[in-house]
Amino acid sequence: MTDVDITADLNAEDQTGYVWTFLDEARDPSIIVPGELVVAGDVDAPAVAVVVDLAPHPNGTIVHLDVLPGAIDSYLALARRIATA
Amino acid sequence: MTELPDLRDFVRPEPLPPSATLIVRGGPDSVTKLEAHAERLLRAFVLDGAPVLGISVFAATDDIGPASLDGIAAGKLSTYRVLHTAPVGRVTAAGFPLLSTFERPHMTLLLGSLGRIAVLMELLGPAERNPQYGELTRRRRRRPR
Repeated sequence: MTDVDITADLNAEDQTGYVWTFLDEARDPSIIVPGELVVAGDVDAPAVAVVVDLAPHPNGTIVHLDVLPGAIDSYLALARRIATA
Repeated sequence: MTELPDLRDFVRPEPLPPSATLIVRGGPDSVTKLEAHAERLLRAFVLDGAPVLGISVFAATDDIGPASLDGIAAGKLSTYRVLHTAPVGRVTAAGFPLLSTFERPHMTLLLGSLGRIAVLMELLGPAERNPQYGELTRRRRRRPR
């Protein structure tokens, strides 16, 4: 099981065309900064994403995510390969 | 108090897809997950100035390309191992209106109440394997800054 940095519905897009969620759904909001690579979604369907921006909203802060293609296992394998090289 | 953005402002002026068109969601979904997603939408948007409960789906409107079933599975939903699908006609006949929201082929399925999610889950049926899982099609081109 892969923990996610920020819970999101990766089906949900808004007017920016990006996936969106609220900042307070992050495990550690301090890592959710523009340009950062994060794991988003839920434990059943995690994906690697880039934080695009944080947008103020009347009910919190909206986080826009650019979901990267590919299986998360591929990213994990890459990280292991690099770490052990 | 600042007003919430209204989903109506983001509805595309286009007719509802034909009844046989499939709506698609990356899964697996559950009642609990859909409740959380609907409550997130409720927190973020209103519809015609009133609270709105809904979830995001994609409509496989085309035979080929990014808005086809294969295109959605290999693009926007390629990070999902499994998908849920249901025909537009079945969903709307069961009392779940669909709005064409934001960029095509995104749509918002309106729930009416959280108590109806179990009905929707039955319509969506069990999740099925996404044959395009792990495809490396880029979901969206980054906006120029």
